[in-house]
Amino acid sequence: MNARAADSAPVLSVEHLSVFAPTRRILSDISIDFPGRDVTGIIGPSGCGKTTFIRTLNRMIDTTPGLRVEGAVRYRGQDIYDRAVNPVLVRQRIGMVFQRPTVFPMSIYENVAFGLRLLRTEEETVEEVVRRSLTRAGLWGEIGSRLDQPALELSGGQQQRLCIARALAIEPRVLLFDEPTSSLDPIAAQKVEELFAELRRDYTVIIVTHNLQQAARVASRTAFLYQGQLVEFGPTEELFERPKERLTQEYITGRFG
Amino acid sequence: MTTAAAAPAGIGDGGELRRASGRLRRRLLFDRAIGWILLAAFAVVLFPLFDMLYWVSANALPTMSWGTLTENQVGTGGGLYPMIQGTFVIVGLATALAVGLGVAAGFYTSEYAPPSVARLARIAGNLLAGVPAIVLGYFGYFLLVIYAGWGFSALAGAITLGIFMTPYVYRTTDVALSSVPKGQREAALALGARPHQYLGRVAFRIALPTVLTGVFFAMALGLGEAAPLYYTAGFNSYPISNLTSPTGTLSVVIYQFYDNPASFGHFLALAFQAAFLSIVIVLGLNVAVQLLSDRYRRRLRGLYQ
Ligand SMILES: Nc1ncnc2c1ncn2[C@@H]1O[C@H](COP(=O)(O)OP(=O)(O)OP(=O)(O)O)[C@@H](O)[C@H]1O
Ligand SMILES: [Mg+2]
Repeated sequence: MNARAADSAPVLSVEHLSVFAPTRRILSDISIDFPGRDVTGIIGPSGCGKTTFIRTLNRMIDTTPGLRVEGAVRYRGQDIYDRAVNPVLVRQRIGMVFQRPTVFPMSIYENVAFGLRLLRTEEETVEEVVRRSLTRAGLWGEIGSRLDQPALELSGGQQQRLCIARALAIEPRVLLFDEPTSSLDPIAAQKVEELFAELRRDYTVIIVTHNLQQAARVASRTAFLYQGQLVEFGPTEELFERPKERLTQEYITGRFG
Repeated sequence: MTTAAAAPAGIGDGGELRRASGRLRRRLLFDRAIGWILLAAFAVVLFPLFDMLYWVSANALPTMSWGTLTENQVGTGGGLYPMIQGTFVIVGLATALAVGLGVAAGFYTSEYAPPSVARLARIAGNLLAGVPAIVLGYFGYFLLVIYAGWGFSALAGAITLGIFMTPYVYRTTDVALSSVPKGQREAALALGARPHQYLGRVAFRIALPTVLTGVFFAMALGLGEAAPLYYTAGFNSYPISNLTSPTGTLSVVIYQFYDNPASFGHFLALAFQAAFLSIVIVLGLNVAVQLLSDRYRRRLRGLYQ
């Protein structure tokens, strides 16, 4: 098997996934395969379940009381909802960056080192990984010389890229982003967006966005969710230019949402 | 209105920024009046405080000397050294107990407890805070002094006072942890932190300045309360060398020597001196805690936006 073929095998596959709140169903029977080393976009109107969906992919959904998950999410074949699976290990492999930057009230260095400290990594390695992660997140040039500074003093865009560096530091295979640029100004958003082109080479990236242009720019495949259901999933170009479903057509032409 | 008519729409002469209309002017006057009323209310609150400070100092200072701090109380004279020692020992131990119990319970309530248990725990905390100190004093007396057979002792006093202080530490810890921005928890868990790692490495760091203020508040209350100690630590005119002896404290000195049939001459002076020393200790503690919590709070700048 050559490398290309290995990459086209799905890294994450979602099988008949449903999520229930106490009184209603939030996601209904979603099945979708995410191939490795690729960027997949998830679009859909507000409230359609994008955040809920992406949070099922690394079991962050466990932290919201009252929700029940049915179906399977397989990471390299292993169902992450299997009773024998430890959610902490899932989250180490499948990282997540949120809508608003969530830097910790610590130095820049300690923020990036956070996940490594949990793993009791040796300080020498930590230093190296911090440097590499900041470089990958395009921050080393800007802040590499002031790692002792409080991370909260950085600009919003820098904070968001720091969160990406922090997620990269524990070497996940998959990176989940929930509207990662919607709290940023256009220039900061563009810098984060440019990172995706970088990251796709080594990671499986899944991005929730309500910005259709952003999906068109960064994602090679796009999924359209509507009222908790997967309406359409395919190569981004096709989905935007020749949608198979009328709902998709109506959404991307701005008739609702 | 005439200016607006004369100038092109949307362009004023700048004077409009100075000429407040009748309604706006009334509103500004109202704002200013509110400011004065609040200042007056503030003064009404502060006056008794300063009056009390003056009254205590005026009665205490003329009779105080270095010996007040270093000598034992002898008969109706002498100093307050044993009670200063006892206060530090008992309040110190009580604080350790209250911090241990209160912080642990606060962690439990805000992170681990199921919602229904958390609600019960909060109610229980409020109830405990509402129990009159004298009731706790009796409780400690029967349970520790009599039933456990410890007799009047520093340890019985410290435990009783610690239980008295615990709900204040507990409540501030719980509130401080619960008000940590949700994103911090999500971010920590998403990086593979276990709940206790999130608490220890992120949440506590954010809650610390508030928790410190709560600890100070509990200590200030503990320093001033004679009721939990009167029946548990008892009294002693001599310094203690172990935790099982009866132990004098400043608050009990005030209680015993102030409004007492035998309160005359130097007894009364001792009560004032003890009150003065208590106030000085609370002020010193306040300054220290304020400095410390400011230092920790500085790390949080920009967190709540
Ligand atoms: N814990 C919960 N309990 C009950 N209902 C929930 C819960 N979380 C989300 N929902 C509901 O599920 C639906 C999907 O929510 P979700 O946050 O996933 O939408 P979204 O697509 O991310 O929306 P947005 O674009 O506004 O972020 C919403 O109707 C929401 O009210
Ligand atoms: Mg969302």
